[in-house]
Order: sequence, then structure tokens, then C-alpha cells
Amino acid sequence: MNVAPPKPARNWPLLIGTIAFLVGMTWWSGHGIGFSLTELLCNLAGGQRLLQESWPPDFAFLPRLYGPFLETIYIAIIGTVVGGILAIPVAVLAARNLTLGRVVWFADRNFMNILRTLPDLFWAMMFATAVGFGPVAGALALSVFTIAVISKLWSESLEAIDMGMPEAVRAAGGTWLQMIQFGAIPQGLQHYVSYALYAFELNVRASMVLGLVGAGGIGMILETQRANFEYERVTMIILAVLVAVLLIEQLSESIRKRLA
Amino acid sequence: MNENQGSIRFTDGNIVYPNGTVGMKDLNLEIRPGEFVVIVGSSGAGKSTLLRAINGLNRMTSGTVEVDGTKVPQKDGRELRLLRKRVGMIFQDFRLVKRLTVMSNVLIGRLAHVPGWRAMFNLWPAHDRDVAMKALERVGITEKAWVKASQLSGGQQQRVGIARALAQEPAIILADEPVASLDPVTTHQIMKDLVRINRELGITTLVNLHFLDLAKQYGERIIGLRFGELVYDGSAANVTDEDFRDIYGRDFTEDDVLDEDVIG
Repeated sequence: MNVAPPKPARNWPLLIGTIAFLVGMTWWSGHGIGFSLTELLCNLAGGQRLLQESWPPDFAFLPRLYGPFLETIYIAIIGTVVGGILAIPVAVLAARNLTLGRVVWFADRNFMNILRTLPDLFWAMMFATAVGFGPVAGALALSVFTIAVISKLWSESLEAIDMGMPEAVRAAGGTWLQMIQFGAIPQGLQHYVSYALYAFELNVRASMVLGLVGAGGIGMILETQRANFEYERVTMIILAVLVAVLLIEQLSESIRKRLA
Repeated sequence: MNENQGSIRFTDGNIVYPNGTVGMKDLNLEIRPGEFVVIVGSSGAGKSTLLRAINGLNRMTSGTVEVDGTKVPQKDGRELRLLRKRVGMIFQDFRLVKRLTVMSNVLIGRLAHVPGWRAMFNLWPAHDRDVAMKALERVGITEKAWVKASQLSGGQQQRVGIARALAQEPAIILADEPVASLDPVTTHQIMKDLVRINRELGITTLVNLHFLDLAKQYGERIIGLRFGELVYDGSAANVTDEDFRDIYGRDFTEDDVLDEDVIG
């Protein structure tokens, strides 16, 4: 008597209800922002003109990208290194199994959440105001961003480590710090390196956007060219950025795969 | 070394876990310096609880445990670390940092002996490196000193575990099921190592075992636990099958012995 049960009938009311809900929500939102399909179609010509002006990319402009590009990489490196180091204590104290009591854990957890809630662009503008426009503001913004990224991810992998080793360090008379250094961190090191590389990838991408708000790097030159309607140069920049990001991601991914 | 040191005394010891499990019940026990004690009992009888109370990994619910006349502190801090410095522990699952070398693992036993900054930057004093190397010598695996712990066999890993405990230059060694993850041949080697070290250095040694024949073969004094209570305390030479039946609360089977020819 091993007969499969009959296929259950499709729940039509639920299906129709869901579709109606999605359509309704979309229409409501579109109406809210004044979206109109007719207007869009009428304005398509403008888009076409933009595309025409953007092609072909201005290859003669490429050499002038070298400096700003390097600056972008500098910003990303500083952000990753500074943020990566500062993320270590933040992550350890946010891991339930390693932290120093509930109060510290709670405070650190919230600190981490605040860092993560505020976007990198916000930090860039804050630091630009504080230390002036330029790459330093960008590097500081990305440091904060990196702390947020690594500490969140790493604290979770630290919570999953085998607590036997830390206990062995304790049993040998080690201090809390020694328990972390000799018992916990060696187990989480692989993940840490992997997350740091991932943060570097994000930082290269982010440091291009940061330039838009005056935090230096390739984004700054992108914004200037766009403001001057030099669309062929804009295309060139976008192409160069695309290639660079892909390259860096490939490199980082291949290192991370080897680590796993 | 450590002459007339390494005595342990439980007075009306009780441990109840937060979930209500009784780990230790009205325990009164005295262990003299240099003794080799094997603790037997079925799983959940409180063998680990007893060992872990001695170095403060488990806290007493009531009663006291003393080492050399000093109460084991019941909260984290400097005093507890000073006690743990004198008590080495060996674990069933070895608990080595697999990614580090054997030497680095053994040096963990020296953490409590050197200034914190030295350990932090891996600047171990020559004396401490020497102690670690001697500990490896004593378990016969000096040639593996610079190999990663992950590359060793189970028996070799447990030897590193013993060396780490020895590097503490302890007065007491607590071995919590040290052979439960090992094959029979390696088991006997490790047990012999523990007995030899006990004889040579006079370190008080407590070993948890669940194999009856091993307990009889290697124990000097046997302590039997059942539901956290002390139900047997006597010399290994005099222990009978009847006694084991009392400890386990049932007839024992071949699951309880390591070498089948010993039974029956």
C-alpha cells in the first residue's frame, strides 16, 4: 500500500491574492512617485542621445586615470588594514562564547549595529567635513565600513568555534586574553582572512562611489567628467572600473578558495 | 620536584547543574600527593565533574575542594589562574590547536609561567622553551616538535596533550578519558606513559576511565562513582567483579572491557 498521495489541488485564491497584492503594491508605489509610462516613452529619445554621446569611449583619456585609480586603491588598502585590525576586538567581544560579560556584549553588539546601519557614503561625508575633502576622508570612511563588515561576519564564525581549545588554555592557567589569542583566534583565522579579502573587494568598489561626495579617487574624476557632459570619458572610466573590479574580485576569490 | 605537594581534599562536595542534573553528591575524598587514582563509573556518573571541580572548570554548588590545603577559588581571577598553573589537564579530544606546531601547543602549558607580553609576541624565554622540549622528550616525540599538530596520529596528539600538561610542571595531572578516542594498542602506550610519569615525577595523577580492565590493570587506587556519589574507594589489587557490579549497577558486558580475553 505504498501509493503516493494525490497531488494536492493548487490553492487558487492564495495565488490570485498574492498576484493582486503585488500588482496593487507596485501600482500604488508607482503612483506615489509620479511614474508615468507615456512620459517615459516620450523621453526615451533623451536616453538615446545620451547613449550616442557616450560611444565610443575616449581611450585617449585612459592615461589620465592612472593617478586617481591608484588613489582609489590606496584608500581601499588603508581602509581594509585599519578597519580589519580594529574589527578584531569588536568581533571578539560580540561573540557570545568569548565576550566579557553581558554588559560588554550588549554594548559592543549595539555599537556594531550602529556602524552597520549608517552607509559608507554617510561616513565619507562626515569625515570630509571633519578632515576636509580628499582621500584621507575616504580612507577613514572605509575603515569604519570595514569594521562593520568584518566584525559582523567574523563574530558569527567565532561563535561557531570548538570551545575545547579555549578551555584547555584556561585549564593551563591562561588569562582571558591568552584564551582568545591561543585558543580562539587560531580557529577563526581562515575565516578572518577570507572576510578581510571580501572587505577589500567591497572597499575597492565603495571607494569609487565615495569620490562622488568628494572623498578622492576615481569617483571624483568620474563626477567631474559627468558634470562637464564628457560622456565619452565617462564611458571610459566606467569600462576601466569594470575591468579593475573584475580583476580584483577574481584575484581575491582565487585566494579565498585556496584558503577554504 | 613538587615533593609533598599535590594533595586534594573534597569536603561535603555537591555540584548540581543548572538543568537539575546532580554531578556530585556529598563527596568526601582525600587524595595524597603522588597517588595514581583511576576513577570509574558509567557515563553520567560524575567522573568529569569531579576532575573539573579540582581546577575550577566546574564550580561547587556547596562544600569545598582544596588543593594542598588551599580552597579552589570559585570565581575567575588571578587566584584561580595560579591554582590552574599547578594543575595540568589532559582531554579525551586532545584539544590541540591543529594549525599550530607541536611546540606551540606545548608552550601553551607555559602561558601561566611567563609575562603576558612575552607570550603575546611569541618571545618565549629560553628556559620555557627548554621545559617544553623536555616535556616532549618525556613522551618521546621530540622529532615532531616543528610539525603541525594536525599531521599527527591520535596517539601522537595525545602525547602532545600530555607534554602540554607536563610543561606546566604541575603538582597534579587530571586526565579526562585520555584514551577514549584511541585504538587498543595506543591506549596501552598512553596509559603506560601516564603511569611512568607518575612514578618518575611523583605528580598526583587522576585518570577517568570507562574500561574496567584498564582501571584494574593501571590503577593504584580505584574510585567508583555512581550518580555523583562515591560508591567505591579501594586499592586496585583488591577490587572484585562484585565491586564493579556495584559501581555500574548492572552486570558488565564486553562493552566495558578493552581486551576481550580479560573477561570471564
